[in-house]
Amino acid sequence: MKLARRLCSLLLSLLVLSAAVFWIARLAPGDPLVSYYGQRAERMTPEQRAREEARLGLDAPIHVQYVRWLRNALHGDLGVSFKYKRDVVDVIRGRVSNTLLLGGVGFALIFSMALGLGLLCARFEGRPLDKILCKLGTLSSCIPEFWLSLLLILIFSVYLRVLPSSGAWSVDGGGAADRLRHLILPMTVVVTGHLWYYAYMIRNRLLEEVRADYVLLARSTGLGRRRVLLRHCLRNALPSYLSIMAISVPHIMGGTYVVETVFSYPGIGTLCYESARYQDYDLLMVLCLLSGAVVIVCNMLAQAINEHIDPRVRAAAAERAEADGHG
Amino acid sequence: MDERFALVGLCPAAEQAAPKGRRPGKRPALAAAFLALMVLGCLLFPLLLTKDPASMDLSNYAREPDGTFWFGTDTMGRDIFAMIWSGGRVSLSIGFLATALSTVIAVAVGAVSGLAPRWLDALIMRLTDILLSIPSLLVIILLQAALGRANIASLSLVIGATGWMSVARVVRTEVRQLRTSEYVAAARCMGGGTFHILRRHLAPNFLASIMFMVVMNVRGAIVAESTLSFMGAGLPLDTVSWGSMLSLAENALTAGAWWIVLIPGLFLVATLLAVTELGEWLRRSANRGQSNL
Repeated sequence: MKLARRLCSLLLSLLVLSAAVFWIARLAPGDPLVSYYGQRAERMTPEQRAREEARLGLDAPIHVQYVRWLRNALHGDLGVSFKYKRDVVDVIRGRVSNTLLLGGVGFALIFSMALGLGLLCARFEGRPLDKILCKLGTLSSCIPEFWLSLLLILIFSVYLRVLPSSGAWSVDGGGAADRLRHLILPMTVVVTGHLWYYAYMIRNRLLEEVRADYVLLARSTGLGRRRVLLRHCLRNALPSYLSIMAISVPHIMGGTYVVETVFSYPGIGTLCYESARYQDYDLLMVLCLLSGAVVIVCNMLAQAINEHIDPRVRAAAAERAEADGHG
Repeated sequence: MDERFALVGLCPAAEQAAPKGRRPGKRPALAAAFLALMVLGCLLFPLLLTKDPASMDLSNYAREPDGTFWFGTDTMGRDIFAMIWSGGRVSLSIGFLATALSTVIAVAVGAVSGLAPRWLDALIMRLTDILLSIPSLLVIILLQAALGRANIASLSLVIGATGWMSVARVVRTEVRQLRTSEYVAAARCMGGGTFHILRRHLAPNFLASIMFMVVMNVRGAIVAESTLSFMGAGLPLDTVSWGSMLSLAENALTAGAWWIVLIPGLFLVATLLAVTELGEWLRRSANRGQSNL
């Protein structure tokens, strides 16, 4: 029942999102034919243009196009990329693993390291270690990702010549080690761009927790600082941490997109950027819906986990359900 | 109060009686001075300098910093020292314009949502969530494309229009919490209208909690501008900004011209750092009690 309602709201959100993206993309000036035919499109006669637009289904009013797109999408046909002239699903399939590798591993690294750093800072609040880590965090949060990328390329690719500056693998292919070497710089940028922000969040959340009375009680029963911090404070801070993680997905994803563009890394981000700039409508639609779906699902997941971990939220939900039942 | 209580975190009362909150640490004098200097420099230098930042001089292509060109020249032969100041003017104005716009939208949406009946509130928040779910960079590129060739106004508009969601959420939460409080009820009893209550009773309260986010939005807007211009989706090359200066970095990297990458970037980072310090100081004014750990 609950699941069905969530599924409905997911579908509804995706529908609204798809309509919004569809309209904005098509109202934007720019010539989708250029994306399909390249420079040739500019030399076409008006008759040729009209014929091609009719062939690609771009001549109908937007709402007609939308209904057509929706009907096809529901039948499993998500359209063809104008630029790659292939089914959009194929185009994306070739790229998605690269982004998952960069974003997924980056995400895992960010959150495990942020948790560790946050705990460390909270444990040693106000001491030199905490101060240094916080200052480092402030500094790195002020360095735009693209500039950090440029800096790293300048140091490690131009001057030291130890790491490649772009792509996901060498032309001649070099196996896992080669992939790894290409991942180091982008991964560094993705992780440092976000790590401190979340570490700082956990730190502050824990510092709020540390000031609660139950900590006083736990300490007075003789429990050690570390035990109280890990077993009591962290447990209370964890639900909000998980929801922060879910909310952070679009941010990290957006960051990955920028990093991919700077490093010419063949992932979803470069694809997104290209499709938005060059009016590759069908591809853009699918990418936007994919991003939206990921985020909405993550939000729901976080809420569910929240309820599971935190008895207070569970109790409040049960109370509300009961009130609804009676009312 | 003696040593025994230190074990459970109790401290002499004298220390607690003077909370550190109202004395919010050091004032960020350095940051404020730097920002003032930057703003002043960006306002005055373009008037004083004889070199035109946009003029291209291909005979002085990618020159290293020296006596004539203090910060060197870029790969189009433009003087980087002159570009820093006129570019800073553009970057900073976009930062402030975009933030002003996003704050106005955020307060409007948040207040409406906070004061609205439950169904409308849920609807607005659902929409806000959807907007938050789209990577904002993508939205900015899309909207920028819709507005045609980018200029300072259109870029500020686009960045401002995509940056209001998180502030709106905070405003909405605060307003919802505050609207049931006694003093709002009292004001209403005395015949205060919705707008009057919002302006006189609600705004002073939520302004404190969004100030930090607003200052951080300035930072976000400057970063967004530079990132977009760097990627070639923002300001064109002939509109000098810190971001569009860096869009030449790719050529500079192959030429090994470190100053083209480093100098505008350092100015950018230093400014962002100063803005952050200011924001942090605003946030620190919120009181924090004694640790029990």
